[in-house]
Amino acid sequence: MTGLSLGEKQFIQGGIAQDLRSDGRKRLTYRPIYVETGVIPQAHGSARVRMGGTDVIASVKAEIGRPSPLQPNKGKVSIYVDCSPTAAPMFEGRGGEELSTELSVALQQCLLGGKSGAGAGIDLSSLIVVEGKVCWDLYIDGLVVSSDGNLLDALGASIKAALSNTGIPRVHIAAEASGEDQPELDISDEEFLQFDTSGIPVIVTLTKVGRHYIVDATSEEESQMSSAVSVSINRKGLICGLTKRGGAGLDPSVILDMISVAKHVSEQLIDRLDSEISAAEAIEEE
Amino acid sequence: MRGLQLPLTQTQKVRLQRALEKLESLPSKANSNASVTVADTIPVNYDDGFLKGHGTTELSGEVVATVCGVVERVNKLVYVRTLRARYKPEVGDIIVGRVIEVAPKRWRLDINYSQDAVLMLSSINLPDGIQRRRTAEDELNMRGIFEENDVICAEVRGFQHDGLHLQARSQKYGKLQRGQLLSFPPYLVKRRKQHWHYLEEYGIDLILGCNGFVWVGEHVEAKDEMLVDQADKPDSQTPKTIDYSMSLEGQEQMYTPLETRQNICRIANAIRVLSMLGFIVTVEVVMEVVNLGVSQNMDTHQMLGSEFCVLVAEREAERRSQKKTKG
Repeated sequence: MTGLSLGEKQFIQGGIAQDLRSDGRKRLTYRPIYVETGVIPQAHGSARVRMGGTDVIASVKAEIGRPSPLQPNKGKVSIYVDCSPTAAPMFEGRGGEELSTELSVALQQCLLGGKSGAGAGIDLSSLIVVEGKVCWDLYIDGLVVSSDGNLLDALGASIKAALSNTGIPRVHIAAEASGEDQPELDISDEEFLQFDTSGIPVIVTLTKVGRHYIVDATSEEESQMSSAVSVSINRKGLICGLTKRGGAGLDPSVILDMISVAKHVSEQLIDRLDSEISAAEAIEEE
Repeated sequence: MRGLQLPLTQTQKVRLQRALEKLESLPSKANSNASVTVADTIPVNYDDGFLKGHGTTELSGEVVATVCGVVERVNKLVYVRTLRARYKPEVGDIIVGRVIEVAPKRWRLDINYSQDAVLMLSSINLPDGIQRRRTAEDELNMRGIFEENDVICAEVRGFQHDGLHLQARSQKYGKLQRGQLLSFPPYLVKRRKQHWHYLEEYGIDLILGCNGFVWVGEHVEAKDEMLVDQADKPDSQTPKTIDYSMSLEGQEQMYTPLETRQNICRIANAIRVLSMLGFIVTVEVVMEVVNLGVSQNMDTHQMLGSEFCVLVAEREAERRSQKKTKG
């Protein structure tokens, strides 16, 4: 990203302080969100989300696998994000790796909960076919095509849209097996089960610039940030994950304030996202 | 217009389609026999010697265009100029650029061209306003005048042996602060007599650089420093930049006033919408779009939404068809 002159930086900070950002938005207003589903036909589910200049694609692929012996009644989900070199010149070669790992880890924490699978936003027990023997492995991949700030929110939204677009094939158990043997499976090509996405949280990132927080920062505004807190909240208003980035320290009361602001913003965001997703699916069906 | 990336409802899509079709059906004013597409033959008098320039090739004895564009002839040179070309500087263009390097006796600027432009230390007015020879001390203090990443308005002086040279000799040119820089394809800015506009009712400077960089910012009075009395100097030159050692409250007092900021954001959004739709950007059109936004009682950020986009397209189609019927 090209640098900013001192005058431009002060203009941005002044705008945030006066609640009128460079493109006229208020501090807590999102850019127009554009959702397209079913962009990758070979995947079981996919979605593309555009927020202003930020453009990300998420795809979901499901494969039959064995559940881990520690959690025989839960399926497995792995999330991985890749920053494409088309997004920014610095992502060429291995340049985007640091950002990719940071985003992948943040998404895993927000959507999958802890190591034991407790508190996950995605319900892992719905992925089980035969307890202890057969489960679905979901591979969720995100691709950053164009970056203009607020990647985490866009990726969270696209994963939610991709999962609501996902159809898991119905599995019939052809033959029962005893002991350690794998049962024979009949995976249907015709029937699909829709994934239940009402419990999936959205991610709201609050960027602190000066004394105020903004939502959905562009990359110019992100260059001025002192710290950013990403909160993952589900429909019931419960927090599913929390990540803090940036070197500046934050007072605990500020973090609590940011969480309550994020909760307030997430209600509107969830409604807006749901309506955009259903509109996109309606268009896809036509 | 490349792929409008906005959530448009069905009715909005239909309206936009209709407006764009109306615009395309209006006859263009240039003689259409000069425009060519790929593999069109270019009408050339083969008896006179001629030179084949960019965008042409010889195919079975005929001169054929390899790109879509307009045929230009300069003496014996025949070439095809594409419409969406990279910015091509001409002498006298007013441009807005960003400093990327401070080099001995010059600054290098990025102006959205294939090369970096050069602004010589001798081509600017010194801060104290006196016309004198540049000394070694001036050279050491170059960063005090323009630093890296500063936004500067200048004029194209010409091509010299080491690249494109600029000059910033008038009081109007120089460092731009307290505003925002917008960037879009350069072919949307046509060369006019005036590129530097002072919008009085808003108190805002609008500089439409020919290279596709546009500056929208607070109005700065171009002081004639020769007339400033030496004794008044400490008062009149109150620095408009904020020192980071100032407290937050002190900084807040020096921010742009809200009214001006509102206008800056409206104008910037109007320009963004026009560039998204691919319409030519001129002051009149920008002011019309801003007034349209105000008359619709839209919030500033809604100007970037789909409804306003469709409205602007319809208005532009109407305006151009009215111009056609009048002229």
